[in-house]
Amino acid sequence: MEAESRKRALQYFFDKVVAPMGFKFTPDAKLKDFLLEQEVILERKHGIPFCPCQPMRHDRARDMKIVCPCIPFHREHFDAIKRCWCGLFVHQDVIDPDSLPQLPPKDAGLE
Amino acid sequence: MKKVTLYTLSTCPWCHKAKKFFADRNIPFTYIDYDLADEPTQKKISQELDAAGATGFPFVKIGDKVISGYQPDLYSRALGL
Amino acid sequence: MSDKFIRAISTDEIAPGGMKTVEIEGQEIVICNCGGTYYAIQRRCGHMNAPLEMGTLDGKFVTCGMHCAQFDVTTGQALCGPVPADLGTEPLPPKAAAFLQRASTQMEHVRTESIRRYESKIEAGWVLVAL
Repeated sequence: MEAESRKRALQYFFDKVVAPMGFKFTPDAKLKDFLLEQEVILERKHGIPFCPCQPMRHDRARDMKIVCPCIPFHREHFDAIKRCWCGLFVHQDVIDPDSLPQLPPKDAGLE
Repeated sequence: MKKVTLYTLSTCPWCHKAKKFFADRNIPFTYIDYDLADEPTQKKISQELDAAGATGFPFVKIGDKVISGYQPDLYSRALGL
Repeated sequence: MSDKFIRAISTDEIAPGGMKTVEIEGQEIVICNCGGTYYAIQRRCGHMNAPLEMGTLDGKFVTCGMHCAQFDVTTGQALCGPVPADLGTEPLPPKAAAFLQRASTQMEHVRTESIRRYESKIEAGWVLVAL
């Protein structure tokens, strides 16, 4: 099983999920490639492509909430910062992803 | 000099940037890669993240200030830079 | 070497996005309709032999219904292995637990292999497959 084919397949599946939610892949091609590569590694290790920037809690119910794309489980937060936590996805109108800081909910004015 | 501790993931590019932020400024820091840590350590870190309302990594402690996410402006401020 | 093409199924038997199994000279083959382009793959999942036509076809990707291994039907390439099952946290009855323990030891050595893809073509409303 070779990584490049898997990355392309993940892109195909993820596109269809995030577009209706108003998100798209980050225009930062290097970041996108790096994160997808990490997800392939995580998928090979755990059987599931988890977010490369969030912790596995070893509790199935909690871990399902960080399966990529995890946007539905963090919708309010990610809509407020216009990106998901690891930055693989950004709002569709974003052209400069570097301008979007990685803010936790309280720093984004939530909670 | 304030104590700097990072909780990170080996798979997270923002964690690499956070480590680089302190390394580039010659600020000593310790870090634990959560995904490579043993179960008791993971449990402890998990509880700290929950207590701070943190979504994920990097999780940065500068003195008694906790900063969640890659936020170099806040790191500088906490360090008094 | 010349490929002998054999009639597998008529094109109007499989809707776009659908899959159907045929057996040709003892070989079980699944014909996939990927938006009007037809591909032929081995029926048996490269993970644990489950019938792939009982899975789902999305674009050029088939996901096995048994444990969710995925394959590219245009190449037969295995893309990912199975998704681990959720066995819950309740303790299992002793016999079931013992069986699962033995099974999981062997399962560690199970790999997801790429599957065979057959050459195919369309002729006069039929999907033809070369064995």
